[in-house]
Amino acid sequence: MPPEMQLCVEKHVKYIQSLDTRKDELEYWLTEHLRLNGLYWGLTALHLLGHPEALPRAAVLEFVFSCLHQSGGFGAAPGHDAHMLYTVSGVQILATLDAFDDLEAHMEGGRLKIGQYIASLQNTETGTFAGDEWGEQDTRFLYGALNALSLMDLLFLVDLENAVSHVQSCANFDGAYGTSPGAESHSGQVFTCVGALTIAGRRDLVDEEKLGVWLSERQLKNGGLNGRPEKKEDVCYSWWVMSSLAMLDKLHWIDSEKLTSFILQCQDPELGGLADRPGDAVDVFHTIFGIAGLSLLKYPGLIEVDPV
Amino acid sequence: MPIFYHDDPEWSDIEPLPQDDGGLHPLAAIAYADEYSEAMGYLRAVMAKNEFSQRVLGLTEHIISMNPAHYTVWLYRSRTLSELKASLHDEIAWLNPTALKHLKNYQIWHHRQTIIDGINSPKGEHEFIATMLEQDSKNYHVWSYRQWLVKRFGLFDDKEEMRWTEDMIHADVRNNSAWNHRWFLVVGGRDGKTLPENVVKREMDYAKSAIRKAPQNQSPWNYLKGIVREAKLPVSTLKDFALEFADMRRPDDIYSSHALDLLADIYAEEENGKEEAKKALELLASKYDPIRAHYWNFRKGLLDQSGVAA
Ligand SMILES: [Zn+2]
Repeated sequence: MPPEMQLCVEKHVKYIQSLDTRKDELEYWLTEHLRLNGLYWGLTALHLLGHPEALPRAAVLEFVFSCLHQSGGFGAAPGHDAHMLYTVSGVQILATLDAFDDLEAHMEGGRLKIGQYIASLQNTETGTFAGDEWGEQDTRFLYGALNALSLMDLLFLVDLENAVSHVQSCANFDGAYGTSPGAESHSGQVFTCVGALTIAGRRDLVDEEKLGVWLSERQLKNGGLNGRPEKKEDVCYSWWVMSSLAMLDKLHWIDSEKLTSFILQCQDPELGGLADRPGDAVDVFHTIFGIAGLSLLKYPGLIEVDPV
Repeated sequence: MPIFYHDDPEWSDIEPLPQDDGGLHPLAAIAYADEYSEAMGYLRAVMAKNEFSQRVLGLTEHIISMNPAHYTVWLYRSRTLSELKASLHDEIAWLNPTALKHLKNYQIWHHRQTIIDGINSPKGEHEFIATMLEQDSKNYHVWSYRQWLVKRFGLFDDKEEMRWTEDMIHADVRNNSAWNHRWFLVVGGRDGKTLPENVVKREMDYAKSAIRKAPQNQSPWNYLKGIVREAKLPVSTLKDFALEFADMRRPDDIYSSHALDLLADIYAEEENGKEEAKKALELLASKYDPIRAHYWNFRKGLLDQSGVAA
């Protein structure tokens, strides 16, 4: 393989490990509310790179449990209020580390408690899910809720039918989905909506060809993917767009060679990590989505990822 | 200038609560900058004793200025405002510059909705939105918030709202958010009722004139096709229009891949149009949109299979 088509695996592993030692940087505490999310992203990236041991399991679990409230919800970090987003990350980490038994040892009946916390955030009238007890609602939360519940085999705790009809009401005239009924179509929302319908076993509700066309139109001449019509390309959309296409079995509708080379151009070949587009500063978020994207593209040496 | 509380007489009755980080292990030890760390200690302390006061508003304002993405702080501020029955107009006056400083922040918009809902009037919000969109005319939060205003205050048929949307499209005909907003007003507000004929004609004319300005722009094509479908008209309604940009007798002078795409659909439905449809799809695969060649070839395959394209 020519050097510009090479993924710098070792560098990326080092970069992800180094994130935790950069605590004195301003950026670190500004993004501190993302901690549990960030940890999940880092962990996933390391698994895909084939280096799951790079973050020690016991220390990760100890941190995750220290974010868990009696209510069954997780906060972003110890001492933070419980929130849907972090609860989903918490469950995802536990699933990645195959640690539901450790959970029961830490909190008796923990799995069910977490499931009930998530279920309590469903609005029984509209089927939507709130992010927290204060009521902000978004299809991201709905997808997260179904995702976490299915990882714990607890989907029966919620009203699936109602949730599905809410997702349907977010479908737009262009075949894609927005954050709420009428909101502009957006790749990230397409992922959450198609993901939710897939988990609920109702993919038949998706107009697969029309949505596939909309998704494939996200690819720009330079190979990168954008999030909405007439916007710039960005590495994180490689994940949202491609995993949606993969769920629809239409990944071959985009040019994977051009996309691969676009993602590889976003690497920092010296210090590791990936940026949103070539030449920009790297961050953990774009690193994981870039690597997950390459894994969907079956880049040699990466573990294959499940699009849902 | 950093602000500290430990030698401020107004806060002498409060003992800041340290971060409960579940013991010091490598992943949990959180190193804040001193100022932020101290302010958070005081916040944890007032939260622990459910204090709702003017000084809590000051404290949360200070923390938000350092880290606006911390959702707990916003929630506590919101509760404090409601417990104190504080002036919501003052809150909006403070929020405006804060939102401008943090364009991509999520919590600010949620907070704003709560406040405006309480004030029960959208007065002044349009000016504020205009300022926000000057920074980024496609900011998703701002457009979502605008939709919330339309729904909350019943502005679907408001002439000003429509005129403003038109101005936004006029300023940038490629602003997909503005096109989506127009759809939201014209179709979204009708709750599934059929569009009157004059509205269908008006909307088709509007999209067509935008396409003539920039034939390769996706947004008005999506809009135009959406209106035709919504009005339950056949796609062939758009044949003459599409031919303006893609005449297959002159394959080197195609001005829009979207027109070719549409023509492929139209020809496929015509009795003897299969060959023409194929030609359009081949042009797309080879010349006008080669990056999606697989998709165009898939469509061509469908033609061969069934004789009528999906
Ligand atoms: Zn991005």
